[in-house]
Amino acid sequence: MLEATIDASLLKDSIESLSVLVDEARVHISPEGIGVKAVDPANVAMVSFELQADAFDEYQAEESEIGLDLTRVLDILGVAEKTDKVRMKLEEDSRKLSISIGGISYTLTLLDPSTIRAEPRIPQLELPAEIVVNGKGFSRTIKAAEKISDHMSMGVEGETFFLEAEGDTDRMRQEMPRDELISITPGPARSLFSLDYLSDIAKPASKSNEVTLQIGNDFPIKINFEIAGGRGKVGYLLAPRIESE
Amino acid sequence: MTSFEYFADTCASIEQIPGSLEMTDVIAKLLKEVTIDELPVVTHFVMGSVFPAWSDRQMGVGNRLLYTALSKSSGVSEEEIENIIRKTGDIGETAVQALSSNPAGQSTFSAFTEENPGMEIKEVYERFTHIADTAGKRSQGTKIKNLQYLFNSATPTEARYLARLAIEQLRIGVGEGIVRDAISKAFETDVAAVERAFMLTNDLGLVAVAACNGGNEEVQKLDIQLNRPVKMMLAQVTPSIQSALNDLGEVAVEWKFDGARVQIHKEGNNIHIFSRRLENVTSSLPDVVEAVQENVNADTAILEGEAVAIGEDGKPRAFQDILKRFRRKYDVEAIAKSIPLKLNLFDMLYFNGENLIDSPLRKRRELLFQNVQSSNRILVDRQIITDNEEEIQEIYADALRAGHEGIMIKKPDAPYSPGKRGKNWLKKKPLMETLDLVVIGAEWGYGRRANLIGSYALGCYDPDTGKFPAIGKVATGITDEKLAELTTLFSDLIVYEAGRKIELKPEIVFEIAFEEIQKSPNYESGYALRFPRLVNVRDDKSPEEAESLERIGEIYHSQRS
Repeated sequence: MLEATIDASLLKDSIESLSVLVDEARVHISPEGIGVKAVDPANVAMVSFELQADAFDEYQAEESEIGLDLTRVLDILGVAEKTDKVRMKLEEDSRKLSISIGGISYTLTLLDPSTIRAEPRIPQLELPAEIVVNGKGFSRTIKAAEKISDHMSMGVEGETFFLEAEGDTDRMRQEMPRDELISITPGPARSLFSLDYLSDIAKPASKSNEVTLQIGNDFPIKINFEIAGGRGKVGYLLAPRIESE
Repeated sequence: MTSFEYFADTCASIEQIPGSLEMTDVIAKLLKEVTIDELPVVTHFVMGSVFPAWSDRQMGVGNRLLYTALSKSSGVSEEEIENIIRKTGDIGETAVQALSSNPAGQSTFSAFTEENPGMEIKEVYERFTHIADTAGKRSQGTKIKNLQYLFNSATPTEARYLARLAIEQLRIGVGEGIVRDAISKAFETDVAAVERAFMLTNDLGLVAVAACNGGNEEVQKLDIQLNRPVKMMLAQVTPSIQSALNDLGEVAVEWKFDGARVQIHKEGNNIHIFSRRLENVTSSLPDVVEAVQENVNADTAILEGEAVAIGEDGKPRAFQDILKRFRRKYDVEAIAKSIPLKLNLFDMLYFNGENLIDSPLRKRRELLFQNVQSSNRILVDRQIITDNEEEIQEIYADALRAGHEGIMIKKPDAPYSPGKRGKNWLKKKPLMETLDLVVIGAEWGYGRRANLIGSYALGCYDPDTGKFPAIGKVATGITDEKLAELTTLFSDLIVYEAGRKIELKPEIVFEIAFEEIQKSPNYESGYALRFPRLVNVRDDKSPEEAESLERIGEIYHSQRS
């Protein structure tokens, strides 16, 4: 059971934070809120998403799990104005979700959750360095790197966070010392990542003022940020590219 | 559960085996070892296909997509991957080299979790199914990521056969013939029973499962299923009407219409139409669907006939016009108006729950005639039973005057033999005989025609190995416009290029006219063609329907007798 009302723009941002990695998702619904954990088809990136009940204007739910076709939901949300409210009602037995936006109501057929790839096993990782950056700035650096390469390394040298990309002919490097960062916990770290994935993840992250990055040596990166004014959070884990000796 | 690595290792050892008997043994062993769930998958995998031929599921993975996935998993640029394939000439070897050179390969989470269990055959199949089922504007990305996952989870041997399977070209020399024998051997089942079940169901995976479950008894239970195409019975060419009469005695004579053969399955008002290649073409032929719904008096039926497009002069239109109808996906109604089809039914394989294929033609034909109301869109054309040569000559002359291909001469008491080109059905056509050959390669033209494909390498079909041994080349020698059209047709089928030479995925069949077949050491088939000319592109035929190596041998010998 679910009956909820939410800002159209918040719902859209939430779905987009998932749809950058997967087309379909299993959504856990509970009285406390909704949550999703999903891994991309290549087993290279994961997302974990939580939105608390108080992020909604109205929220009433019982424990359940539904399968959402994210592409279709986004398509439907395309008709909503920024200030619209979206009303959702889950009809448990018919496995349908009704979505009303400004007088228009859709009935969306849900997917069978068991047909969607199971929740990922999350590797236990010790990531020595943690950096907090501005989302917009982070996204801009990634765009810059994409102009010359398809991969970018990130690391910490002393108290400086660096981002570096090297293409066939050109190089790009950005250094951010402690005073340009929101915060830094230094540690030995340098890992290389695919820019395809980074740029997908940077899209939703760019809307956040504080994005926390946790990195290690040739280890996956964690990218976390809050949404809905702290009443929700999104976390990504991205596996590195590993250079052979 | 069987690991994909075991399958890949088996492929690697099969590739080293020269003789088909020993190959059959190795495959029989493999089929016996896998679990019953894996059996249908493995049966198709060894033949280099992922799904049974009748299935609507298509992998939809071209070389370009595969290169991108390989590039993303290995960190090797697509350009470099194309360089490797030019050198190796094999997508499998290319995958191995790209993934092992690994300048900055993508890791997956498996590298950071404790267990790394390896891939099972079922997992590979599930990923392939997902790739086939993905649709919509983001489907390319999803297909690539699933392939990427497979490559990143693969050992080098696995990667070699994954890459080849993804484009459904396993190249280990295993075709339907060997798999049929292997099923028979693995589960102690008669080859003839396996063959028959295959012709009826069109699915060796299904046959293997039946054989495994209960040998002959289960295999014999396999029967025609509505909405799943049955391999079509084919006709041999007869040199003369007299010789047909000598072979068959009293014969049933029908016009051989110049059209496209179809098999129609009717279940109430639910109609499925399959082409000669047993592809589902229902959505392109709404007028035929309607005609069958209105004029065929049966709850369930499987019918065969020839769809003919008649021009304003009352003569059949060019074969290409009919193909326009069959291939159309959009604006179907509009083209249906401009190229109306008329359906000439000539056989019925199934009627109100009863399988008729073992009944004599006479009886099938009678039931067909009784249950179809002729209209301007559908008709059971006349069939004459006679042993009078002159009468047959007249029918033949009439058919040709009407612009059709010739006549069919059938044995009235013969059953319907799915997939067989036997002596019970004969065809008499004028003209020199043409050969249907598969295009296996090509060469770019010179000078002004450097961007066009100038000549094509042709192969016949060897059903035992599933290979297409070369038999010659045809230089098209036609207009630039036609050359350009053909070049476009083949552009998606390019496997790799080396200089001017192109290797093509064997997919398209050419109808080739020739003067003579000669013995030749220059081609893999052992034969060559004198003065080959391109007559037609036979989009309606699958590569497996091209002339068999055996048939080429027969023609060679008949020329000399």
